[in-house]
Amino acid sequence: MKQSILGRFGIYATLTVICGILLFPVYWMAITALQPVNKLRQYPPELFPSDPQWGVFRELLARQPFGLWMWNSTLVALATMILSLSVSVLAAYALSRYRLRAGASMGLFILTSKMLPSTLLVIPLFAVFTKLGLVGSLWSVVIAQATLIAPFATWMLKGYFDTISPELEQAALVDGCSPFGTIWRIILPVSAPGLAATALYAFVLSWSDFLFARTFLATSQSTWTLNVGIATLKGEYETDWNVIMAASLLASIPIIIVYLVLERFLVSGLASGSEK
Amino acid sequence: MIDFSSPRHRAKFGYMLLAPATILMAVIVVYPILLSVNISMQDVRIADIAKSEPWTWKNYRWLVKSGEFWNAISVTFWLVLFVASVSLAIGLSTALLVNQRFKGRTLARLLVALPWAVPEVVAAVIWAWIYDGSFGILNWFLLQLHVVKSPVEFLADPTSAFFAVGGAMIWKGYPFMSIMLLAGLQSIPEEQYQAAKVDGASTWARFVYVTLPGIAPVVGVTVVMTTLWVFRDFSIIYVLTKGGPLGSTSTLSILTWEQSFAFFRMGHGAAVGVVTMVLCLLISRALVGRFAQNVH
Repeated sequence: MKQSILGRFGIYATLTVICGILLFPVYWMAITALQPVNKLRQYPPELFPSDPQWGVFRELLARQPFGLWMWNSTLVALATMILSLSVSVLAAYALSRYRLRAGASMGLFILTSKMLPSTLLVIPLFAVFTKLGLVGSLWSVVIAQATLIAPFATWMLKGYFDTISPELEQAALVDGCSPFGTIWRIILPVSAPGLAATALYAFVLSWSDFLFARTFLATSQSTWTLNVGIATLKGEYETDWNVIMAASLLASIPIIIVYLVLERFLVSGLASGSEK
Repeated sequence: MIDFSSPRHRAKFGYMLLAPATILMAVIVVYPILLSVNISMQDVRIADIAKSEPWTWKNYRWLVKSGEFWNAISVTFWLVLFVASVSLAIGLSTALLVNQRFKGRTLARLLVALPWAVPEVVAAVIWAWIYDGSFGILNWFLLQLHVVKSPVEFLADPTSAFFAVGGAMIWKGYPFMSIMLLAGLQSIPEEQYQAAKVDGASTWARFVYVTLPGIAPVVGVTVVMTTLWVFRDFSIIYVLTKGGPLGSTSTLSILTWEQSFAFFRMGHGAAVGVVTMVLCLLISRALVGRFAQNVH
């Protein structure tokens, strides 16, 4: 299909305007973070900082609990990723290679984890974790998150495993490789892109968690995650918007980077069908 | 030791691989759901799994009589309607736009759905700053346009707070629609468009008779998913307004949490949550068939 120059110009113009409006909040977060606080208390607001304050990040990281919150968020996201991925790899392999009747309930589990009101789930979980002594421990968030992520991660991974020919594994089994060894040495290396996409998905979800952390970790500041910290900063220092936005920026950067990587996996799959 | 590679034990190995996931689901999802029904039938402030109170309908009687519950039902309904319809409109227009052929569309697709990658809490604080009543940029913008005479405290007035929360949710929710609808658009075979063109169909006619029917199933699924998301969302509303002012943004999800962890009336909270779950279950029935199809 050939396009006129005018039509092409129209597309770029529309795109610029739409992206400009839709992405303005992200831009505004970055700009606000770099402003000295007195410039935030004036009209008209500066749409571009004349005097960017890069020191705000150093200040923020030096502020005691903040570094710790960032560390906690990282720990939680990594642990959730590893836990959910380990159980999902095994489950997905089982569903892909064995004709199990349990496979039929898979859809139900995915649906449950997508549909269940999490604010209901945290009530009994709070009771269970209290009993187990896990309230106030990062593990409470990790276990809860990993479980809710697992069904969808299993489904994603099963899709990748289904595309791998079982002949490779049969050859390995004949050569005396154990069934676990086959998964470890044959399946996982071959499905690396699928594993990466699933792992990133798990990372994004758990890094973004607020409800579980807010409910299970509320008692002690030292166990807070970044999101709980930011939400509290907003309440406490209502006027220090540059600090809050700097913290928000640091909280978004890992996810935005992950998104830029994950999107490639998504797009390559979609694009292969469309670009002839 | 069992030889798992022998045909007799193959299925056993399969179930062994499934066990960790199944145990986690049972302990962290299935058991707690049953437990929450149990808690909703007890007159408790803080639930304790060690001792169970006798069952009573007290919490549900409170729920039916309380204005807060009916208010939450109505807030949830209007918020779903507002957020789902506007994000569908934005999602569909952006998907149509980046589905065009032009140089740099990969980048455009990336940017158009970027808010998807912003954590909900961060999205909420960004919008809180945009809506700020003293120096927020939205107020400045409206002052310039002479829409308002003096800065407005958007989050302090019930009506404006509702739309402010809805606006933030739309911003966070439309990228998912956009991504899904783009996938839907790309699954429509090019031949259908060519056939329509040969038959002399205009651009508009091709949109109505080829594009819309082609993406209708995806639209259905994404609208249901977005509806469920509005039902379940906690972060955005809690960070922006905590459900206030005067309950104008208090959805069922917020009411559940507030009763349980702000007022420590877990019996009430669980009752609200169980009703929410049943509503979500009814809504997602539309999805069950499709998921079962996709998984197999």
